[in-house]
Amino acid sequence: MKVELYNYIRAAQKMNRRQMLQGSAAISAAAMMPKGAKAASHSNVRAEILKIPGVGQGSPTDGDWQKVGEMCLGATRENVAEGEFAGVELTFMGLNNQNLHNFLFRGFLKPWEAYTGAKINWIDLAQADYNARLQQSIATGTVDFDIIEMGAPFEGDVLGKGLASEMPDWVKDQIDMDDYVDYLKEPVGTWGGKTYRISIDGDCHTFAYRTDYFGEGGIGGAEVPTTWQEINQVSKDLVGKEDPLTGLPAHGYLDPLKGWGGFGFYFLENRASAYAKHPNSPAWLFDPETMQPMVNNPAWVQAIQDVMDLIEAGAYPADQINADPGTTAFQQFLAGTGSMLMWWGDVGSNARTSDTSVVGDVVGFGVNPASDRVYNAQSGEWEDTRNEAPNMAYIGWGVYVMATVDGDDKKHKAAWSAAAHLGGKDLSLWASAYPSGFQPYRNSHFQFDEWEEAGYDRAFIEDYLGSNADSYNHPNAAIEPRIPGIFQYYSVAEDELAKGYAGQYGSAQETADAIAAAWEKITDQIGRDSQIAVYKASLGM
Amino acid sequence: MSEGDLLHTVTADNISDGRRRLGKAMVWGSAGLVAILGLWQMLHETGRVSGGFETWRPVLYAYLLWATALCWSQVIVRGEMGKRTLFVLPAALFVISLVVFPLLFALYISFTDWNLASAAGPQPNGWDNIRQMWSDAFYWNALKNMVYYVVAVSVEYMIAFGLALLLNAQIRARKFFRVVFLLPLMLSPVAVSWMVGKSMMEIRFGPLARLAREIGIDNPSFFGSPEMARFMIMAMDAWTFIPFMMIMLLAGLQALPREIIEASKVDGATGWQSFKEVIFPLMLPVSVTAIVIRIIFKLKLADIIINVTSGGPGGATDSVTSFIFREYRDRSNVGYGTLLAIVYLVLIVIFITALLKLVSRYMERPA
Repeated sequence: MKVELYNYIRAAQKMNRRQMLQGSAAISAAAMMPKGAKAASHSNVRAEILKIPGVGQGSPTDGDWQKVGEMCLGATRENVAEGEFAGVELTFMGLNNQNLHNFLFRGFLKPWEAYTGAKINWIDLAQADYNARLQQSIATGTVDFDIIEMGAPFEGDVLGKGLASEMPDWVKDQIDMDDYVDYLKEPVGTWGGKTYRISIDGDCHTFAYRTDYFGEGGIGGAEVPTTWQEINQVSKDLVGKEDPLTGLPAHGYLDPLKGWGGFGFYFLENRASAYAKHPNSPAWLFDPETMQPMVNNPAWVQAIQDVMDLIEAGAYPADQINADPGTTAFQQFLAGTGSMLMWWGDVGSNARTSDTSVVGDVVGFGVNPASDRVYNAQSGEWEDTRNEAPNMAYIGWGVYVMATVDGDDKKHKAAWSAAAHLGGKDLSLWASAYPSGFQPYRNSHFQFDEWEEAGYDRAFIEDYLGSNADSYNHPNAAIEPRIPGIFQYYSVAEDELAKGYAGQYGSAQETADAIAAAWEKITDQIGRDSQIAVYKASLGM
Repeated sequence: MSEGDLLHTVTADNISDGRRRLGKAMVWGSAGLVAILGLWQMLHETGRVSGGFETWRPVLYAYLLWATALCWSQVIVRGEMGKRTLFVLPAALFVISLVVFPLLFALYISFTDWNLASAAGPQPNGWDNIRQMWSDAFYWNALKNMVYYVVAVSVEYMIAFGLALLLNAQIRARKFFRVVFLLPLMLSPVAVSWMVGKSMMEIRFGPLARLAREIGIDNPSFFGSPEMARFMIMAMDAWTFIPFMMIMLLAGLQALPREIIEASKVDGATGWQSFKEVIFPLMLPVSVTAIVIRIIFKLKLADIIINVTSGGPGGATDSVTSFIFREYRDRSNVGYGTLLAIVYLVLIVIFITALLKLVSRYMERPA
């Protein structure tokens, strides 16, 4: 679970005394249990680990991570003999964001190291250094790590170049891959029909709105808008009205109009996915046969036009042209400016825990808005059917084993065993319930009874995590193309969009054409044939 | 050996032919080793020879050996004269290793299509990058912006001169003000971006936005229009670096001979006349130095832009460096990004050389 979300839930719910005592008693009981008894009670592992340290008992520490790692070793014990990896050394590259990620992995893997006899060396990277370090390692052929924590968008760069090791079948069984939410199943994590990724996280954009704008007598109308057409209409209608909470000018949907190192493009995608992601094809950014950009087809042009319309109508706050996604979420929406936003999970959690947030009591969640009509790229026609396509922006973190271990059977098994331990079904439940940097990503994570028993407020969990679950399992989810250099495409699109939004191009179509031209250049530079091949592979075609 | 050299020679050198040959053999031998290893490794890397080293490190060691041999041979071959060379040679080799080699490598890269995401790696692509640059509206736009930014230095200079005159005058709490005026220079431009650009100019709660509302501007916008955004970037950059020019000019003012200024007063010059006819001309060398250094600083302008506007709106505030940053970091476009940087370097060298030539006659203090 993301730290902010954890804090939010703790702030959002008041633990009653009985629950607190239940939790404490369970911890005491667990602490008194002999080690063997703990291992034997495998069926209770999930309930037991959720009591470490207990919801509302303060942030987990290294001791807790080790305890959880120890209690979740059951699956490893079934596949690996004690001391089997003695003498094996592995290098793990991951992040050190917020003192999470690698810090947790260290704790989780300590009992694994003690049991198997392997030793792990760590490369900790700040998020900002991660991309450059990975790209340079790939480009210069200096892959100096055996296991890596990596986001799915880089799969094209790593899997596409054959740098990773294929997942053995015993790992698939150990981690129970069938339990993944739908969008994390094939083709995500696979390449050319082979599986490489152990998911440890899920990501998608969900819709956040102000409940005080909508409903009976609300200035935004009786109903919360559910389509982009409605959102644009409401945003225009709100011009000149007063925000019920702050008394300042009211605003509708907040589009970030400034780039954000490539990440800003996800926000145009949120609009475009409803228009452009037709259920008849997984492709919605490029033509998979030619790599010709689809970004200048009528669907994308409509998405850009929607934004331009709101600029024209004066529906955005002043200086929106200089607002990046971070600004729209944290300086605008949470501070009471604007009523609708698309963002990852943490905007909801920050709503109550952030000091600068004023909207904690008036925020609701939903899935990515739909569209009244959808563009069918195959027939080249608009179809007047409602279309919903949640944007799985970034897809989330996974653990990958590098091909560096392939020559050595013992090392190979050791690396996969370590990775499987981190992506284990039970351990991941703990990680999704406590601060870890990761969100729920398995169907079993949405068994709300477990959360309730652990001390969480059921209504909140159902409302908030429910919007994530609905997006994850959506049959028409818009999945990110995992091709090499995907962020290059996004970054150059941001530059062109900025020009378009500033009125330097004649129309939305011209803006889209400029993006398409720039994308063609990148494709040619990286290599069209190889891009076509990896794009198809990434879409599972 | 000329007479001048002899004067400083402490010992008489009797260098035998054998010693000379040894010295030369050291240099040429080690140079040969570098050449052979380098060539071998290159053939290995390009797949023409099967055997070779895993990395270029052995070639680097051979280069270090050659550098050592070169320094050593100076003394062996030339004795006392060689020792004198040793005072400079290691530093020169160091500079060549860390500046000239990378520059040559950069030059090579700039004529390749190297994109870090491309499986093919760097492939020479002739003049393609130049042609792309020629039609790259973003690059030309950034260069145009640089002209605006550089022109803004003239305004900064006027303000800095005014402040320097003020701080040079007999005002109350002069030392206090000197320190206070220097404070912005001590801030990192990144801090300025966040403190001023992103916090004080925040449109709803920022103190500057509130002030603007207080004085009757309903919807203040600091980065909404291209002109305003560019002006704000200039203002923040100026705020940081005016103290730098000011302190240089202040030092110049304090070094002015007092007699001349007093003489002008005795002759009945007014304050303005004394400034125009005496102080300003005398200050020209310092002024030109301050302006040139400031322009060099200005040509590197990037951090504030990257943090506050990312070059927007629509490229209105983009500087060449901030554009290259995006091309290089966000798009991993190493070949093209390097070419843009090399072209910019050439432009800067030409511009600064011309500028120095133009102002050289002001650099000397009038006799």
